[in-house]
Amino acid sequence: MRLLWATLRKLVRRPATFITFGLLVGLMALIYLAVGATANQQPTGSSREAALLLLTFPGAYTLIISFILGLGGLFGVIYGAAIAGSEWTWGTLKGAVARGESRSRYQLWSFAGIGLMLGVGLLGAFAVGVILAIIGAGLAGASTAGLNDSQTLGQLPELLARGWFAILEEGALGFTIATIAGSQLAGVGVGIAVYFGEQFATIFLPDIVKYLPFHAASAVVAVSDGGGGGFTSGNGAALARLDPTAALLVVGAWLVGALIVTTLYTERTEISG
Amino acid sequence: MTATDGLALATRGLHKRYGSRVALAGLDLSVPSGVVYGFLGPNGAGKTTTMRLLTGLIHPDSGSIELLGRPFGRRDRHRLFEVGSLIEAPSFYPYLSGRENLRALAATGAHTANGRVEELLELVGLRDRARDRVQGYSMGMKQRLGIAAALLSDPRLLLLDEPANGLDPAGIVAMRETLRHLASTGKTVFISSHVLGEVQQLADVVGIIAAGKLVREGQIDQLLEGEGVVRVRVTASEVESATRILSTVSGDGSVSPIAGDEGWLSVRIEPGRASDINRALAVAGIYASGLETGSDLESLFLALTAGSPSASHEGTFFGLAGSNEPPKGPAGWHDGGEAA
Repeated sequence: MRLLWATLRKLVRRPATFITFGLLVGLMALIYLAVGATANQQPTGSSREAALLLLTFPGAYTLIISFILGLGGLFGVIYGAAIAGSEWTWGTLKGAVARGESRSRYQLWSFAGIGLMLGVGLLGAFAVGVILAIIGAGLAGASTAGLNDSQTLGQLPELLARGWFAILEEGALGFTIATIAGSQLAGVGVGIAVYFGEQFATIFLPDIVKYLPFHAASAVVAVSDGGGGGFTSGNGAALARLDPTAALLVVGAWLVGALIVTTLYTERTEISG
Repeated sequence: MTATDGLALATRGLHKRYGSRVALAGLDLSVPSGVVYGFLGPNGAGKTTTMRLLTGLIHPDSGSIELLGRPFGRRDRHRLFEVGSLIEAPSFYPYLSGRENLRALAATGAHTANGRVEELLELVGLRDRARDRVQGYSMGMKQRLGIAAALLSDPRLLLLDEPANGLDPAGIVAMRETLRHLASTGKTVFISSHVLGEVQQLADVVGIIAAGKLVREGQIDQLLEGEGVVRVRVTASEVESATRILSTVSGDGSVSPIAGDEGWLSVRIEPGRASDINRALAVAGIYASGLETGSDLESLFLALTAGSPSASHEGTFFGLAGSNEPPKGPAGWHDGGEAA
């Protein structure tokens, strides 16, 4: 447990934590405020409706989570890779192992710390997203009557929990990649490449891509209208997605698999440099 | 009773290979308890590989390690709870302060007593800078923090890789006193270094490694007694013929040029026979312009490691002589000379 607390103390002071969260929230602010400010200037009614969809509650709740999962997935990979990679780059894992710490235990508690930080980040980003959507609705003159929709509010804890699970999986991927790369820079770089590689894979592997980690993660939170974090193929046609329950299982498999690879690799590898 | 009883650290037939390169070729170390042991060798001789093996960072291809009288293998990480180490450069989170780094490290491995972090910050003279981020520390300050980290769990065996790196003279003196004090309390200090003057002042026992093998091990005094050296200076053009003549006096392989000092030859012979050397050269028409007698670790080291494959692979060893001698100064880690 002391290892988890130590990890959390490290992470709350880490610039990467604030930069990642700040970037996500900043981009969300840019989009929501821009949409709010320009919704009434849309040339057609349908485009105005589409813009307002983002700002109209209760649907906005789900779209905020989808947005966070879409962009946050990339940030989750980068964050996981940055934290795991720096342990090798700075040699701090070496210091712990030389003190007799278990390699697996150290890695798993480190990831647990990352998971908690991602959860806090998700909640924080969601709260900021709701505030931004309200501000955007105010700018667009849209109603916020659905804000207190009890049915949607009742579903939010489950949605957020699913969203956290999805981001956890994405963070684990980054964590594993950086562990194998043994470097912060290489880990982040390869993590980003894998993220975009999967998006490109929609062109070549349209039937398989729904099982890949980022697509599965985005399907964990069901979005009925296919907006937000939904993916489309190269020609714009909607891709088949896993249903949320199946997606949850696939995401779980990726998460567990990533952590197994991480621990096995860390246990077996020779630490030098 | 076994051959490794009473030893704080022992290795037997330790082999390690990186691809086709042999790093260790059957290393047998015997480090008695309660001493400062100097582990010497040219660059690439296998010192750091040995340190990594002793701390479980890498694993041997064959051979065995005993730490504090018990076998140390892949599954014996708990043995390291009684071992403190500083391997290569000190490793810290640059965005955390010195104090926070020690606390983070204290959460790993063996239990660390309450107040130990503050005690060590005081010991290494970093109390005033404990709240500053490590990224602003000088190399010497990081080194001190690394030594504090090695002492966190009050280890019985301390493994230090080049502990004097980056320390200023006063810091070196203070470190030496600290390590001597630790040895006097029964702890064993194992120092890997190529700063021979420092090791000669600090160590009770030395082991010299070359090309992955131990070439000499023993108490410094005893080693130096049996390894007298006479140094002779001739003109550069006479080095070759002088080497040949002196080899007939002292035996084949006992004469070697001193790297970096043109015209100086090191002859392994009892110092009392310096006159024989002078006479042999004079008879051959070579007049020495300098003649020094004495036994020092540097000469012994050079004689034992000269021509080792690792030395030739990574270049000649130049960590020489009196320049390594720290100036006299006030003991204490509080030298204040480090720039952030």
